[in-house]
Amino acid sequence: MKKIDKSVADQYFREKNRFMILYFVIWFIVSYGAVLFAETLSNITINGFPFHYFMGAQGAVLTFIILLFVNAKVSDRIDKKYGIDEAENVKLSQGKTVDH
Amino acid sequence: MDTQFLVSLSIILATFGLYIGIAIYNKAKETSDFYVAGRGVPPIFNGMAIGADWMSAASFIGMAGTIMLLGYDGLAYIMGWTGGYLLLTFLLAPQLRKYGRYTVPEFIGDRYNSHPARVIAALCTIIISFTYSIGQLSGSGVVIGRLFEIDARLGTMIGVVLIAFYAAFGGMKGITWTQVAQYSILIIAYLIPVIFMSLQITNNPAPWLSYGALVGQMGELDRELGISEYFAPFTNGTKWQFLALMFTLMCGTAGLPHVIVRFYTVSTMKAARWSGAWALLFIGLLYLSAPAYAAFSRFILMTKVAGQRITELPAWTTTWVDTGKLTVADNNNDGILQWSELIISNDIVVMATPEIANLGTFVIGLVAAGAMAAALSTAGGLMISISSSFAHDIYYRVMRPNATEKKRLSVARWSIVLATLFAGLIALNPPGAITQIVAWAFALATGTFFPALVLGVWWKRSNAQGVIAGLLVGLTVTLSYIFAAKYGGFTVLGIIDTGAGVFGAAAAIIANVVVSLATPAPSQKIQEEVMDLRYPEQMVYKDGEVWMNEDGNKSI
Repeated sequence: MKKIDKSVADQYFREKNRFMILYFVIWFIVSYGAVLFAETLSNITINGFPFHYFMGAQGAVLTFIILLFVNAKVSDRIDKKYGIDEAENVKLSQGKTVDH
Repeated sequence: MDTQFLVSLSIILATFGLYIGIAIYNKAKETSDFYVAGRGVPPIFNGMAIGADWMSAASFIGMAGTIMLLGYDGLAYIMGWTGGYLLLTFLLAPQLRKYGRYTVPEFIGDRYNSHPARVIAALCTIIISFTYSIGQLSGSGVVIGRLFEIDARLGTMIGVVLIAFYAAFGGMKGITWTQVAQYSILIIAYLIPVIFMSLQITNNPAPWLSYGALVGQMGELDRELGISEYFAPFTNGTKWQFLALMFTLMCGTAGLPHVIVRFYTVSTMKAARWSGAWALLFIGLLYLSAPAYAAFSRFILMTKVAGQRITELPAWTTTWVDTGKLTVADNNNDGILQWSELIISNDIVVMATPEIANLGTFVIGLVAAGAMAAALSTAGGLMISISSSFAHDIYYRVMRPNATEKKRLSVARWSIVLATLFAGLIALNPPGAITQIVAWAFALATGTFFPALVLGVWWKRSNAQGVIAGLLVGLTVTLSYIFAAKYGGFTVLGIIDTGAGVFGAAAAIIANVVVSLATPAPSQKIQEEVMDLRYPEQMVYKDGEVWMNEDGNKSI
């Protein structure tokens, strides 16, 4: 085991959290935001749907899916930047829980 | 005994045969294969398995019907049940994976180092999963009731026997590949009728794009009948109820024990993130289609069924009237069935629509098989989390730490059988529609586990006294609100029983924080373990310093 600078580790944590906060802001706008302003949005039409209905039935769900994939990809990149080796992680987590 | 019965039954039996076959094949492979370390299911298939575990009778049978009856207000279910995956995948799943325990009560018991917290968490798991399984059983009752053309209550009894067997002798428990097959069956069974209806009504094979075209026509029909318009917001409840329900379903998603457990089976934190993403993609496929299903069903009912002469109603009406979930009554004796004289339960819309739209015996049978896959796969997961809470967390970890493996297994089996029978008794006379019952389970998870887990992972100062107070207060507030709103007519801002989680979660967080701060901080070791969850597996937090593990198991 090699000791690393605490500030580097904190940097890792902060960097990931910054992205997470950004995702949650978008998450909040497309779901809660769209509901809060539903009456106003209903005057806009998209593909035949009133906009508030479109957001509830499709827009929000698609945004959620995209955010999750973006998060997975970005997290991988951050891990790589800090020299995290996934193969090592696999070895380290072995036997820690059920293996189906 | 008609063709439809034979076709439906053989499709159901064929799919069951497929699940059992896969289970047996994998069992055999597991014993013959030597144990390969680090072997894991690829995240994409794990995502499908999560999808099968997740999408229950509520999603498959109940949701489109709920949306059809509630209009825009029903979309709280769509956004809530998908948006929760962000909370789960960002805030909890990877961290819980790194902590590494077998069950949710075990995480709470060990993180807070407290047996009382463990027992309370186990009891909460049992209450939540039990409530959830009532919804599954009443769902299987609808399917079996239609199949044999009997009352849905008799169908429920048959479902109880099936599910008890399935889970108690479950060779299939936790076998990912069986769930991959169940996912495939249920998604195909859901998409085919929507696509056919879309072709029938709009000549467009993509239902997601085409049902917007119905907006204008349905609005006209609604105005003619003088009822509230389908796409208009907040016609069945206040805006606050919508927001509260959505919040409850989102946080409940992140706190449901039988879903979290699935993330314990992935190989790493990274795999947990990817599994969450794939899972939502596969789940989204059904959730994006449900509002289309609802719109087409409503359109068909309004144009092809309402307005008919009551004596000339098609054959499907009688079979559904027999299940007790459909009422057609010519109240004004004019010989014609008006829209207001047709009372259809949320729970049969998905099952009945293929018959109404005349999609053919094969599609109808396929939908029945998909519904059974949804109900069974989730009920199996629920029963396993009930039995592991009791047999593992309460019986083994607290009551009898030296119980033999055999004894524990038999305790687990008996708890499954008893829980199923008891849930079945309640499901005979379900206290609400399937989606509503399931929403209560989510409210309870929101009021108990969501605060306990999020604070447990993200706030090292939270301690045993805090979590015990939080769990108890959250449970009490949520349960009282559900009962007060449903039976006492008590509401705040128009928030009804299904939105109860908002109050439970707020009360639980306040209780946890206040009591934690008023009592001594948890031990240094626990605080370090919590700090450690900030980093990937390779980084280890110890004595205020961070270490990078570069040579595998050697140094831990």
